[in-house]
Amino acid sequence: MVQVQVERFDFDVVVIGAGGAGLRAAIEARQQGKRTAIVSKSLFGKAHTVMAEGGCAASMGNVNAKDNWEVHFRDTMRGGKFLNNWRMAELHAKEAPERVWELETYGALFDRTKDGKISQRNFGGHTYPRLAHVGDRTGLEMIRTMQQKIVSLQQEDFEEHGDYEAMLKVFPECTVTELIKDGDRIAGAFAYWRDSGKFLLFRTPAIVLATGGIGKSFKVTSNSWEYTGDGHALALRAGATLINMEFVQFHPTGMVWPPSVKGILVTEGVRGDGGVLKNSTGERFMFGYIPDVFKGQYAETEQEADGWYNDQDNHRRTPDLLPRDEVARAINSEVKEGRGSPHGGVFLDIASRLPADEIRRRLPSMYHQFKELADVDITAQPMEVGPTCHYVMGGVEVDPDTTSSTVPGLFAAGEVAGGMHGSNRLGGNSLSDLIVFGRRAGLGAATYVDSLERRPTVAESEVDAAAHRAVSPFDWPSDGQAENPYTIHAELQQSMNDLVGIIRKEDEIQQALDKLVELRERAKFVAVEGRREFNPGWHLSLDLWNMLLVSECVAKAALMRTESRGGHTRDDFPSMESRWRNKLLVCSSDERGEYAVVVEKPQEPMREDLLELFELSELEKYYTDEELAQHSGRAGQ
Amino acid sequence: MPGEDVRVSVTRSDPDAPAEFTVPRIRPMMVLDALLAIQRTHDPAIGFRFSCRVGMCGTCTVRVDGRSVLACQTEIDEDTEHIRVDPLAGLPVLRDLVVDTAPFWRAWAAVTPYLVPGEDQEVGMDAEPAVIPPDSAERETIDPSLDCIGCAACFSSCGIASARRDFLGPAALNRAMVLVADSRDAAGAHRMDVVGAGSGVDRCHYIYGCTAACPKGLDPARAIRRLRRGRFGGKD
Repeated sequence: MVQVQVERFDFDVVVIGAGGAGLRAAIEARQQGKRTAIVSKSLFGKAHTVMAEGGCAASMGNVNAKDNWEVHFRDTMRGGKFLNNWRMAELHAKEAPERVWELETYGALFDRTKDGKISQRNFGGHTYPRLAHVGDRTGLEMIRTMQQKIVSLQQEDFEEHGDYEAMLKVFPECTVTELIKDGDRIAGAFAYWRDSGKFLLFRTPAIVLATGGIGKSFKVTSNSWEYTGDGHALALRAGATLINMEFVQFHPTGMVWPPSVKGILVTEGVRGDGGVLKNSTGERFMFGYIPDVFKGQYAETEQEADGWYNDQDNHRRTPDLLPRDEVARAINSEVKEGRGSPHGGVFLDIASRLPADEIRRRLPSMYHQFKELADVDITAQPMEVGPTCHYVMGGVEVDPDTTSSTVPGLFAAGEVAGGMHGSNRLGGNSLSDLIVFGRRAGLGAATYVDSLERRPTVAESEVDAAAHRAVSPFDWPSDGQAENPYTIHAELQQSMNDLVGIIRKEDEIQQALDKLVELRERAKFVAVEGRREFNPGWHLSLDLWNMLLVSECVAKAALMRTESRGGHTRDDFPSMESRWRNKLLVCSSDERGEYAVVVEKPQEPMREDLLELFELSELEKYYTDEELAQHSGRAGQ
Repeated sequence: MPGEDVRVSVTRSDPDAPAEFTVPRIRPMMVLDALLAIQRTHDPAIGFRFSCRVGMCGTCTVRVDGRSVLACQTEIDEDTEHIRVDPLAGLPVLRDLVVDTAPFWRAWAAVTPYLVPGEDQEVGMDAEPAVIPPDSAERETIDPSLDCIGCAACFSSCGIASARRDFLGPAALNRAMVLVADSRDAAGAHRMDVVGAGSGVDRCHYIYGCTAACPKGLDPARAIRRLRRGRFGGKD
């Protein structure tokens, strides 16, 4: 047997992921006096969080004093179609303002209103202006601020211990492949350095997953390369459960060309400011896609639609601004019927609608995005756009207050955690989610460590097994017929995109599941050349296992949920069903992560005082009569 | 008539690894498109970094025909038939186009890159958020210098920093300027000592390589100039 060298480290808390949630969790764990590691797949400070532009939702009420946590809570529950974990939504709404302010004490500076208070902007689904922001680079500023906070803590530790890394150490470009348990509890994590390919073992009683999402399982996604569902898969293999995996948020307009930017978001603002969707014949096709439920609410002629931009009282709005899923469905149909643009999308035209200087003034970031990344001048040419996978609502099932999963010692925060957003996330609720639950995860992990009577230990056999599994892609099959990891990845992405994408139906999901069985079998024969030093082919081979497992969860849950709700649209079950409102689909897997099992489970009923925050007439749209029997609006009847 | 292919020369760490590639031209084509095409069709083991793809994260910085740029937003022009891609200058090469960015971040950490609240201010969670008019002179100095994505293009394109001549470099000094100008911060004197010491602002020869290279349009050379003047108590 090959002897493998494994570097060993001891920590109290190991945080996997260095985006907003991971950094906030690590800061908290360190402030609670715990020796903390941050393990990051990318370079430190380069997390996907930097892409978040809109802002961070927090009901400070600076712009409209009527805003408060109750309004934010209601908006969040509505957005999620009442499938949210209500306790998470409550904690989030209550704590977000304090977390935003806390970032300012770390040195961030959010944009100000004219009188110098933290400014807040409007966003879809939020009743009042609520998003604290730093221009259109709020995520970048949050990451930068917390990165600086970490440097300050390390310099404090140097003063006290003579070692910058005495209490808080960052492991950049380091990927965790296995979680290791001692009995039923977390005992450690096995990882490799991306640059040298060498192995590491973290001995730790507590792990916080903060690994983000799963977008790289889809062909067209706004997500960056790290989003391969690592935390989701690690949790499953460790015996934890995932919920809400059928809910994936797609945005109808992403860039489709060139390949390096495929999937990057094109803001809804383009359509709000007059941009219209056209097919290859130049037809404004959205007029043919107004569904019955919206008939009468949208303009039926181009003339009326064009009148709406300047006179909204006397005109109905253009169908280019139908809800996201309707727009995406229409684009899908046009492309499938052969009326798409050269690179498989449709055209979004603002050039023929507004003067060039007006476009540059209203949409500066879009102008630059297309100019610099696609060499398209949007003041002169149409853009090519298509639906793109943006965010996964599903994730690790956690205790809302501590973020603990069902496995003792395993915590999760941010996009990798499930429940907070229910079936659909509101824009702006993600950055706030990261800092509210990032902090709670650090605190939850620290409290858990304090409660332990005995440190768990890592068995050597587990380390050997993890090492051998990690190097297995270098073993070429005896007949030399190896599979290329890029080929399997491309086929997986194509299949998930086409068959479990924005619009779903039974036979297509079934086809995707059959394809997953085939890909899983072929993935056993993946082999790569070269050595372990910075070898992206090898890295992808290891990520593939995670993507295959997580994709199976998405597909199986999507097949089971026979309704349409939020980020899950079934062509064969187009309406929302109140009998599905209180049901969670819970995913688990075997230890090797070779198959996923999905079962149904009832959701805990909302606490009475929270339920009372809603009008009965609104609840009646979502709840069954039995569930509402105790509401004060009915109790008197 | 430009060719339908682009030839790409890549500096490899292993002298035996292939270094010359031909990839089909797409329109438009970014340097990152070419690198991804090489990885997918020629050599899955070629080492380079990228992440966000839209110039926000600063991960994919390389030198293209000698200039330090983000691969994701550097176009291969229609009339360019050949490009040469090298790793960044001034940072140790780990493999192929992948460099160790630790020296860059060490310089950044050396200027106390975080806000140090003043003792006399009400600070911490019990205080109130600072009331700061957005059009104050202070913010007008600071705001254009905040967009740094830590890509190290300035470091690589600086003749002094890239020659490893004990220079903090443009990004770290830019960060120092931002905090020195921030009225909430109390560590200005300490920071001025650091930037005024041997490895600080006096190493700058005003070649403006940093300002020319910055993909976010920042002007680190101007920040360095401000720090120099601030040291003598003058104004920019």
